[in-house]
Amino acid sequence: MSLTSAVVLAGGEGSRLRPLTSNRPKPLLPAATRPILEHVFDQLIAAGITDITVVVGYKHNRVQAHFGSTYRNVPLTYVVQEQQLGSGHALLAAESEIDETVLVVNGDQFVESTIISDVLAAHNGDSVGTLGVLTKLQIGSYGGVLVGDGTVAEIVENPQDDRPYQLNAGVYAFEPEIFDAIYEADPQAGEYSLTDAISELLDDSEVQAAISEGTWVDATYPWDLLDISFELLGSGHTDEQCAVTVAESATVHDSAVIREPVVIAPDCEIGAGAVVGPYACLGENTTVGSNAAIERSVLDADTRVETGATVIDCVTGVGVTIGPGTTIPGGPGDVRVGDRVFEDEALGALLSDRVTDDGGSTYVPGTVVGSETTIEAGATVRGTISENTEVRS
Amino acid sequence: MCGIIGYTGTENDVQEVLMTGLSGLEYRGYDSAGLAIANGSLAVHKREGEVSALENALPEMTLDGLAGIGHTRWSTHGPPSDENAHPHTDCESRVAVVHNGIIENYQSLREDLTADGHEFNSDTDTEAIPHLIGSALEAGVAPEQAFRQAVDRLEGSYAVAAVFQGEETIYVARNESPLVLGVGDDGHYLASDVPAFLEYTDRVIYLEDGQFARVSPSGIIVTDEQGAVVDTAIDTVDWDPEDAGKSGYDHYMLKEIHEQPTALRKCLRERVSELEHEITVEELATLECSGPVQFVACGTSYHAALYGARLLRENGISAQCFLASEYDAQSIPVSDETLVVGVTQSGETADTMGALRMANQAGATTLALTNVVGSSAARECDHVMYIRAGPEIGVAATKTFVSQQAALTLLSSVLSGAESPTLIKQLRGLPEKLQHVLDESTAQEVSAEFVDADAYFFIGRGYNAPVALEGALKMKEITYKHAEGFAAGELKHGPLALVTEQTPVFALVTGDTAAKTIGNIKEVEARGAPVIAVTDRPAEVGQYASHVLEVPTAGPYLTPILANVQLQLVSYWVAAQLDRSIDKPRNLAKSVTVD
Repeated sequence: MSLTSAVVLAGGEGSRLRPLTSNRPKPLLPAATRPILEHVFDQLIAAGITDITVVVGYKHNRVQAHFGSTYRNVPLTYVVQEQQLGSGHALLAAESEIDETVLVVNGDQFVESTIISDVLAAHNGDSVGTLGVLTKLQIGSYGGVLVGDGTVAEIVENPQDDRPYQLNAGVYAFEPEIFDAIYEADPQAGEYSLTDAISELLDDSEVQAAISEGTWVDATYPWDLLDISFELLGSGHTDEQCAVTVAESATVHDSAVIREPVVIAPDCEIGAGAVVGPYACLGENTTVGSNAAIERSVLDADTRVETGATVIDCVTGVGVTIGPGTTIPGGPGDVRVGDRVFEDEALGALLSDRVTDDGGSTYVPGTVVGSETTIEAGATVRGTISENTEVRS
Repeated sequence: MCGIIGYTGTENDVQEVLMTGLSGLEYRGYDSAGLAIANGSLAVHKREGEVSALENALPEMTLDGLAGIGHTRWSTHGPPSDENAHPHTDCESRVAVVHNGIIENYQSLREDLTADGHEFNSDTDTEAIPHLIGSALEAGVAPEQAFRQAVDRLEGSYAVAAVFQGEETIYVARNESPLVLGVGDDGHYLASDVPAFLEYTDRVIYLEDGQFARVSPSGIIVTDEQGAVVDTAIDTVDWDPEDAGKSGYDHYMLKEIHEQPTALRKCLRERVSELEHEITVEELATLECSGPVQFVACGTSYHAALYGARLLRENGISAQCFLASEYDAQSIPVSDETLVVGVTQSGETADTMGALRMANQAGATTLALTNVVGSSAARECDHVMYIRAGPEIGVAATKTFVSQQAALTLLSSVLSGAESPTLIKQLRGLPEKLQHVLDESTAQEVSAEFVDADAYFFIGRGYNAPVALEGALKMKEITYKHAEGFAAGELKHGPLALVTEQTPVFALVTGDTAAKTIGNIKEVEARGAPVIAVTDRPAEVGQYASHVLEVPTAGPYLTPILANVQLQLVSYWVAAQLDRSIDKPRNLAKSVTVD
């Protein structure tokens, strides 16, 4: 079936990525140097989509301001989901924009266009819905789908048993019946999920499963942004529009060393003797001071790495300053998120939006620093530090 | 002030092109709109009010025709009414004319024509034009000659377009009012500015003052005043027509406020280098000037110019700032050493263009600081620097002000040769700091408390003084409430008499002027007025203010740019709660192309 319009769900915060989401939703977090959502749009356009409705919610001004009214000449219509009560609820917000078959895609996960094409090809109008599924060893906390004879037998969120589940890729083609199913399904803990609505559909109709081998990557926790970015670096998905790794308006000093693979966004400046890469993603207008070294890191827009700093296995938000001579020696380290401790994650440090490090500090692997926190010169930084605090040396 | 659109050809439906163009032009002026389509006869429809009123007045059947012209009007002669709306026709309805500008000799033309038996239906200066053309047609003159003869008799400023009954050619002429032609594959366009037809073509020809053009489906022929054919270049514009969409915001103004970080990035791109320790503006490579500098500007641009002039003076260059409408090169010393900088968003502001032309005649070097590539200011001045803010649709200037301030910071550095590493670093950090303001502003909550105030006052010193003036202008423009901005020190020399418990005072307290401004806050507080401090030092200032709007520190020159953003948001949210027509405030137009 050929479809030209899509609904992208980009309203949720993505709370497991806190504190990176304090100023913007997960779809705007960087995969390499561009927002995850931008990659999703690229893949939709590659699959022939020419009209996109975006459901926005949490910090929606940021999404609207980033993309404006078109992306690569494809018109974007924004629908605001004021309260975020699940993926089904999000799709309901777009109901007035939809009167026939619709393609629905999650805006906070990277999906390759082949998955989208496979769903479109499989959806033939005989069934009320088609969903893209992937064969993965670990379903983890995602949606598990039991497939029999090309159709969905059962769909379970976060399955605990060892039946042969496939992974729900979050790419769906739906007939308008989906809306009734969303209304009819009982909310779970006040949330209306698409998974529940699909289960509702299965009661008296058929939902197809389009098994795909396309690339699918998601960031569940902040340090996953490293893996998702490096996967894109390796696969050439970092920038659909230009294949260069150093943007034209970026400046690299003659004596700086760039070790591929890297991607360096517009307006970056890289000073004398700096070493960038391998596996480094520098967002727009990032500054790398002389003799600084950056490896296996994703630094978001307007980050400053001052003279002589060493930055390994690091994720930064926007506007972060890593002071002169600071050392982030890299993982593995134990990371605390809420009440859980994740052991031996490859995270040197996570510095959220506008963290200012005055220089000469050392970061114990696994450190997480909240937004706008200041690290005084010479401090040793460890553990999870909340936002708007001052860390003394 | 008004907007013009015209189309002839077969690739699109004439009525549709005109209506699309008029909708895109609405922001230029909108007290009435109309269109004329030529076929066997001449169909003319016009209405007072917004373009939607015209749409409702059109017959259900689409009007057929090969050529048409349309107009949105902002009154200069005669009140808004159906009669005064353009297009205007001659007595026999053989020709319809739309016009932008002012015909200075229209009284005498009208008297002559009335004496000859012509009947006028409107109070407009424009109506003289179709009657002049009608007279010539009466005398057996062919349409093109009739049009040229009529235009030859006009004194003043004009962009004028005429369609004739039974003709597929549109005749146009330009003098001191903007007019641009669009080149399509099977049709051609004309408009007062590019966005009106950008949906259909991005290939344009800029008409010069004194030129005429014959626009027909098969081609465009441009001629000079004597009728000799002129070779013209076709330019391609790179504006995205969809930039004009509101992208989910309730108003263009709010969208444009949120676009400011991006606008700043574009303004600074490849101009500020930390690595090379330099600020360079490519288009000013051949500009040499050691002063004196005179700025000419109006409205918001004037406030940006005040900021720029102060920066230049601090860098040792003599600089003055003039309201363009008050500029008089005869009484102000101007020599060939003088650089006159016209700050104009549209590049078409008539007052600023007048001042620049005067300066040019007096021998000064002229520089246009503008947002619009190919605008009159850009083409007529010796030098041009673009602020690169992208299209701004909201009548109240927001992102263009911020981009003007940033561009003037660059200009001051280029002219003075002062390239402070601190300033360069601060400039590179500015877009993110502006985003920080947008992320955390509490202006919506704060403004909710002051919607019913009698008046609003804005005070600031130094680089914050022009920001105070701009804050008040924004408030006036979109809330229709009384607002005044003062240099903080001036408060006690008079305006303090106006301060009461019902007049909130917004105080800009940043940088090295903070201590003195805190003194002024105390004067205000003693009169019981609520004080809202916009500051980068909330801990220190908070105790003197009833509310604080915080901004990050970006150094003495750039923090005021951030402070201004808080004031934009305050005005926006007050206006939103008063349910004002925020994007199109009453009596105002985006591009003021009349003196």
